[in-house]
Amino acid sequence: MIDTQRFTGRIPEQPGGDNTLQVGSVLQNRYRITGVVGVGGMGSVYQARDLRFPNVVRHVAVKEMLNPATDQGVREMTLRTFEREADMLASLSHPAIPGIYDYFPSKTRAYLVMEFINGRDLDAMVNQAAGRLPVDLVQQWALELCDVLGYLHHQKPEPIIFRDVKPSNIMIDQHGRLRLVDFGIAKIFQQGQKGTMIGTEGYSAPEQYRGEASPASDVYGIGATLHHLLTGQDPRLEAPFTFAERPIREVNPDVSPEFEAIIMKALSFEIEDRYPDAAAMHEALERITQPSGGGVAFPVSFGVARDEMDAWSDAEQQGVVALWKFECEDEVRSSPVVHQGVVYVGAYDNNLYAINAADGSFKWKYPAADGVTSSAVVAADENLVLFGSLDHLLYAVDTRVGHLSWTVSTQGPVQSSPTIAHGHVFFGSDDGHLYAVRLSSGRVQWKWFAGAPIRCRPLVTGEMIVVGMESGDVAGVDLSGQMVWRFKAKRAVTSSPIEHDGLVYFGSMDWHVYALDIVHGWKVWAFRTNKPVVSSPALGDDKLFIGSVDGSLYALDLSSGKERWSFKTGGQITSSPAYENNAVYFGGIDTNVYSVDAKSGRLRWSFKTGGPVPSSPALHDGVLYIGSMDHCVYALKA
Amino acid sequence: MNFLRRVFGLTPPPAEDDGISITQDADHAGLPEEPVIEPGDNASLPGVDNGDREGASRADDDTDPLLEENLSKMLGTRPLPRLEPPPRLPGQRLTFGQFSDVGMVRGNNQDAILALLASSASIDGMPDFGLFIVADGMGGHHDGEKAASITTRIVAQHVMSEILGAMLDQRMDDPDRPAITEVLREAFQQANRAVATQIPEGGTTASLVTIIGDLAYIAHVGDSRVYQITDTGIEQITRDHSLVQRLIELDQLTPEEAADHPQRNVLYRAIGQNETLDVDAITRRMPPRSRLLLCSDGLWNLVPEETIREISAAHSDPQDVCEKLVELANERGGPDNISVIVVQVPG
Repeated sequence: MIDTQRFTGRIPEQPGGDNTLQVGSVLQNRYRITGVVGVGGMGSVYQARDLRFPNVVRHVAVKEMLNPATDQGVREMTLRTFEREADMLASLSHPAIPGIYDYFPSKTRAYLVMEFINGRDLDAMVNQAAGRLPVDLVQQWALELCDVLGYLHHQKPEPIIFRDVKPSNIMIDQHGRLRLVDFGIAKIFQQGQKGTMIGTEGYSAPEQYRGEASPASDVYGIGATLHHLLTGQDPRLEAPFTFAERPIREVNPDVSPEFEAIIMKALSFEIEDRYPDAAAMHEALERITQPSGGGVAFPVSFGVARDEMDAWSDAEQQGVVALWKFECEDEVRSSPVVHQGVVYVGAYDNNLYAINAADGSFKWKYPAADGVTSSAVVAADENLVLFGSLDHLLYAVDTRVGHLSWTVSTQGPVQSSPTIAHGHVFFGSDDGHLYAVRLSSGRVQWKWFAGAPIRCRPLVTGEMIVVGMESGDVAGVDLSGQMVWRFKAKRAVTSSPIEHDGLVYFGSMDWHVYALDIVHGWKVWAFRTNKPVVSSPALGDDKLFIGSVDGSLYALDLSSGKERWSFKTGGQITSSPAYENNAVYFGGIDTNVYSVDAKSGRLRWSFKTGGPVPSSPALHDGVLYIGSMDHCVYALKA
Repeated sequence: MNFLRRVFGLTPPPAEDDGISITQDADHAGLPEEPVIEPGDNASLPGVDNGDREGASRADDDTDPLLEENLSKMLGTRPLPRLEPPPRLPGQRLTFGQFSDVGMVRGNNQDAILALLASSASIDGMPDFGLFIVADGMGGHHDGEKAASITTRIVAQHVMSEILGAMLDQRMDDPDRPAITEVLREAFQQANRAVATQIPEGGTTASLVTIIGDLAYIAHVGDSRVYQITDTGIEQITRDHSLVQRLIELDQLTPEEAADHPQRNVLYRAIGQNETLDVDAITRRMPPRSRLLLCSDGLWNLVPEETIREISAAHSDPQDVCEKLVELANERGGPDNISVIVVQVPG
């Protein structure tokens, strides 16, 4: 793979190193070379002194361009093209474009003499600033950059396309003015080279890799340059075209959402989604720069911010209405379960309620002796609904009539939600045991001593049971009740584990989300949130969704544990998300129920309840059922 | 560790299992003995040789199977399902083939490969461990091959000490251990630092597969590839870190345009290129009888996926697959070095 280029941060070596002019050489009896400013593949740029002004030191920049063609015809054609380009440049007049003074060809090269700019380029400045250039200053430069490129884009008869907008081609002179340097004149030669693409990796628009360039390509370059200046993230060191995945305000909150939106619009992959040219971008920038005279509305005409706002207002306008709500006598912290047209949900008022899913009408309730905080589960074959209570019992109630079938007594509150599998119900108790109970008889088949309260819902696969404990231990227990492995998190594991393709996933109060090899209990990956994780994960779209007390819902890649997106709410998230049809649903302590697009992490809708929502949603036939601490159970259209 | 023994078709030693009954009928003392839900031993399963040690059959010692069944019927219960080991014949283990060739044009082989398999049978029930790496170096003056070889050595050294070493030490469940994917990422970071300091003008791709039991852990940087081949198809499970791949993903380039794009060889990520290195690290469960194929671009540039799958399907020995694929790439001009590793999952 010897032909693979290494393009990052290296200037190509000059072909034939001795081609560079020596300091002291004099060109045209007029320009004495005083230094080398830069060396490029197609020639060098020198600092020179104009000897026609012997009494003052007048510096000029001399740009040298090699004409590598050996064929006489090609050489002359190249030269003519080059002359035309020099003529064109000389005819431009803009304060940000260096003045052109002179032009002369020689045998193997051509020289362009122009204004020497005393200043520093933006690449050097952003490197020195370590990524934090003042936002006001960058916004001012953005205006100046769009102004000069807009000037080029509006040239007649054809717009001039700069093609290579990047920090190293932009200088700030000693007066603080932005100047565009390294005009693409050398590229006329480069175009003759077979296979060479125009543009610098990192700043160039996608279409430039197809050999296409338009004013919108320069707009992309402006966006890429501003992104670099504001984030300090050099795009040459990042995967190409990943600006959208690296929001500016996440790194630099000083940037206004409006400024960010303009930059992100400029960075759209599709040409038609960008500003058509730099002048249009200039206009947008001017609008947000103008001092708001009270009447200037929040700019909504561009970019990401607009979409976000639309999503919000759409949701509000659509007004997700509750199909019904059912009021219990106390807070509903447990999660509903739906079975054959009936919603079963436990409440702090000690009752398990059976509610008609269709209209929210009361069917029956069964009272425990204390609060019901865990979620119920239905054993369909046995016509049982099972739930634990703080009164130390697990209850099995006949779903048809609401009469008690049997109970299992434990030595502590039952806060674990039960799991039905293999004709048994599995659940944990604060007495530190995991119980396996026969559904038919209610007899304890075995109990396994975990050593600490179990409050999660046990995961039961064909071969293994996985439970988390308040000690932070997670155990893999085989179906006969013998421990196979034990994993130690740093804090309690209340989150209920789930399994997919040989891995088991759960969250912990130690702020992490874990993936373990289910056979051995070995840690495959861990993802750190910013607060404890009580929420249980849900899977969908090759992602894992889980809430954190830090207020965000996270979407993680299942196989790598990398964050795909996160969605910030106004409070903690202890509710466990549910996934269906590319949407994620969950409750927030900020009293809202949320629906978020699973691919993008954008809000689909939110619904405000009268209290915090630690309950997790149940989805059935396009309807979402969820409880709130306002005592109500809601049925919402998903 | 019953489960592990079952997985590996081993007979549990009697001492450990004796008296560990599953029926701890705490709340119903005095009632007739419940049928034992402990799955039976492997003796009754076809194709599994349990040897002579029948100590495992405590379920049979304690209860008459017929009675158990009748009791179950009487009580209307369903016993928990038997824990059956995966359908794997005794002695069947992970196997692999490997081949690295200079090709037809190049004067040197800048690829480096490494393959390692640790397989044991003991009461510890240690799962099979495999480590497979393909690295494709770049840079003149032998820098490419040096970068590739340093990378395979450093990565293998780190993974062996932090994973195989930890398995042998039985400290894989140490809570302070980094996650397995983190170990792989760190191995790549170490290689990155070593290449950056020792071979400043060189770089390399690296694709690694670590196998632990039936899980494959894949770490990847660059444009070497890992494919998963099953009875039904072939899937590329790594993503090329190349400019053209990125353009394809953004619908800015068609695969056809990419095939002869002047910058098709430009990588945006490689070992030894930058101080910071972003490593892809993912996990896959390997279905029985499936294969994982690691290769450098010298293969995939010339042999399309479907042909790779066909050749894999036509040869039962993974070594034959490697040799046939290299042969085919050479027949098609072999402009680059060609390296292939095929890992065969038993089943």
